[in-house]
Amino acid sequence: MGLTPAHREWRTTMRDQIDRRTFIGGATGATLAGLTGCLGGGGGSEAPAHVGMVYSLGGLGDEAFNDMTHAGIQRAEEELGIAYDNTEPEGQSEFSTFQQQFASSTDPDYDLVTCIGFSQLSALQENASEYPEQDFMLIDSELDADNVASYRFREHEGSFQVGHLAGLLSTREFSHEGSYSGTEKTFSTDPEAKTVGFVGGKENPLIKKFEAGFIAGVHHADSEIEVRSAYAGSWNDPGRGQEIASSMYDAGADIVYHAAGATGSGVFSAAGERGRLAIGVDSDQSLSSDASHTIVASMVKHADTAVFNATKDVVNDEFQGGSTVMLGLEDGGVEAVIGTDYEGEIPQDVLDALESSREEIQNGEIDVPTEPEN
Amino acid sequence: MRPSPTRRLAGLGAFVLAVIMLTAIVELFPNTVVGAAIGGALATAGSILGIMDSAYAASALRLSVPIAFAALGGIFAERSGVINIGLEGLLILSAFTGVAVAHWLTGDGTTAVGPGIVLLLVIAVLLAVAGALLGLLGDTTGEIAVRAGGGVLATAALAGLTVALAGPTLAATWLAFYTAVLVSTAFALLFAVVTIEYRADQVIAGLAVWLIALGVAPFASNVIWGAVNSPGVDTLGTWTVPGLSELPVLGTVLFNAGPVVYFLLLATPLSWYVLAHTSFGYWVRASGENPKALDTAGVDVRRVRYAAVLLSGVFSGIGGAGLSLGRVGSFVGSGTTMIDGRGWIGITAMLFGNYNPFGAFGASLLFAALDALQFRLQQLNYAVPDSLMQTVPYVTVIIVLALVGRTRTPDAAGEHYESDED
Repeated sequence: MGLTPAHREWRTTMRDQIDRRTFIGGATGATLAGLTGCLGGGGGSEAPAHVGMVYSLGGLGDEAFNDMTHAGIQRAEEELGIAYDNTEPEGQSEFSTFQQQFASSTDPDYDLVTCIGFSQLSALQENASEYPEQDFMLIDSELDADNVASYRFREHEGSFQVGHLAGLLSTREFSHEGSYSGTEKTFSTDPEAKTVGFVGGKENPLIKKFEAGFIAGVHHADSEIEVRSAYAGSWNDPGRGQEIASSMYDAGADIVYHAAGATGSGVFSAAGERGRLAIGVDSDQSLSSDASHTIVASMVKHADTAVFNATKDVVNDEFQGGSTVMLGLEDGGVEAVIGTDYEGEIPQDVLDALESSREEIQNGEIDVPTEPEN
Repeated sequence: MRPSPTRRLAGLGAFVLAVIMLTAIVELFPNTVVGAAIGGALATAGSILGIMDSAYAASALRLSVPIAFAALGGIFAERSGVINIGLEGLLILSAFTGVAVAHWLTGDGTTAVGPGIVLLLVIAVLLAVAGALLGLLGDTTGEIAVRAGGGVLATAALAGLTVALAGPTLAATWLAFYTAVLVSTAFALLFAVVTIEYRADQVIAGLAVWLIALGVAPFASNVIWGAVNSPGVDTLGTWTVPGLSELPVLGTVLFNAGPVVYFLLLATPLSWYVLAHTSFGYWVRASGENPKALDTAGVDVRRVRYAAVLLSGVFSGIGGAGLSLGRVGSFVGSGTTMIDGRGWIGITAMLFGNYNPFGAFGASLLFAALDALQFRLQQLNYAVPDSLMQTVPYVTVIIVLALVGRTRTPDAAGEHYESDED
């Protein structure tokens, strides 16, 4: 520890000043804060590893992917004693800038640069060969380079689980007393109509994995259940999401699963209006949504686990460069999480059935497809 | 320039004839490739018709609200000679403002009465000032006072009526709605000042309105909520007309709908009436076709254009806040924001509808109905390429503008008018 008290004080003052400038300067300020992060380091040289975090667009506070990875690095700080610095790019072009800053920094020398989100792939492609000595990790995409460890998720497995849950609940009497938009309401299934729904954001192979897993899960519960799927064509159109989900509920669907970003909040509104159920995605959305009583479960993607594991590998000198780790149900990479308002309300035999399908997926008895059947 | 009744009849006749011929081919040549193909097409048409029920019509009507309001606003502005392509921006601003104010007033679960009253007072003052300013453009002191007083009275009447009809909790949401309309109108005023007073290029100023809104709304969201997307707020709910809502199809579609849907059904004929049958409408049209003549007749072209542009702000405000507060109950500021191009489609609907309120409403409804249709078809496993579907409004407008040639832009649209008087 080479810092004298005077040094510390100077650094604190500097940080305060930077904070004020960050506040005033908006976007420029954020860049400055990122730079100071690089220069200042976080916690002295005795930390077993220094990690530089480059978040995806949307930044911290998105209650989804970025916040989850942040939770992962915080856990690593707590349990492994590592030090880390955050940067929040404001545009596509800043991915490369921040990656380079971390990679070229010598004080501290970063042991790992964490790149979050598939949109950082092209920037990393260049920087990984530019800085062969620097270890990188990439989340949600794959890059074949010796100094890059890629982490992807078996979203279809988690989607299978929530699909299985939807299928099991859809065919039985199930209701929940709650509230929506300030009024008391009952949220229930319609055992007569064997229909559930899926709303996707934009149609791409990643979201197709969610849809495929969900359909397979529903049919695992009852092959006669009809799954209505539609894509909104946008990640930020809750109005259209609401109309799509409404049309599904009108057609007899009692549970609708979404993988549509902010468009999905319209799915929850539709469920609230109709007194039906919905399933969230990426994080446990019942914790953050105002329509939490409509969210019976969420398919959680544990990006925090990926960050923690990669950091642990670096600390233990076991960095998985050049490999792609697929995080599925087995590794706790994805899981179906029951909504907070529904804890203790899901019948035990449903939970048991979910548990056994989880085991069957893990030991390979169930092969979950990654492309929709129909 | 309107198509004659004979031409319309001919079009209808051709359509009926085509259907009859297709059916005949299938009946006469059932085993040929052509017959099978057309038979398949007819079967598809049958299943498409099957999903067009009353819920579908209601959905299409709801989806058309922001588009049609933007179009109505665009009609007033452009027919007065000011091309307002900032409609998308006005929709974004009002959608954001509505949710921000609603969250401010009701965010912690209770209705904040104090801030609500302060906000009402601010609105009253603003309307009074607006009234006075309108009066200033050439009226006597007496008229200025009357207009200012009118602004205050209108606010008081609106507030009293809202609380009486909606109750205190929902009144807060309505107050947020009014504020959003006001903010949209204020921004339209800014646009009007820049284009009418300072002779800025209308298209560039309109683009600026859009770009500013696209930046400001997510930025302000970030400041307020720490994220570009807002938390949820209560919506305006639905109005059910007792008795009439029991009617078979019309009941679901027309008499059990959100308030803004009723507003749209009122605003369309009202706009048509004002444009076609009132002296204000006559001035608006003259200001866009031949401002010189209007000026010679002793009407202040500037004032007419200001009023028309402000109206486009009012309509866009209702459309934007109607989307965020009317139904969704939150604001999404990521990407292209939750408005997602509805203002631009509104402009195409305005052109497609040939600057006629009924035409624009019909075009908006058509685009919305196609949208509602495509995501129902997806659910029936028809592979509908949604990115292609989203180009339909634009392709339609190009065809209408280039090939059919029905749309006729006002002569003086986009041109600044300088009176010789001063």
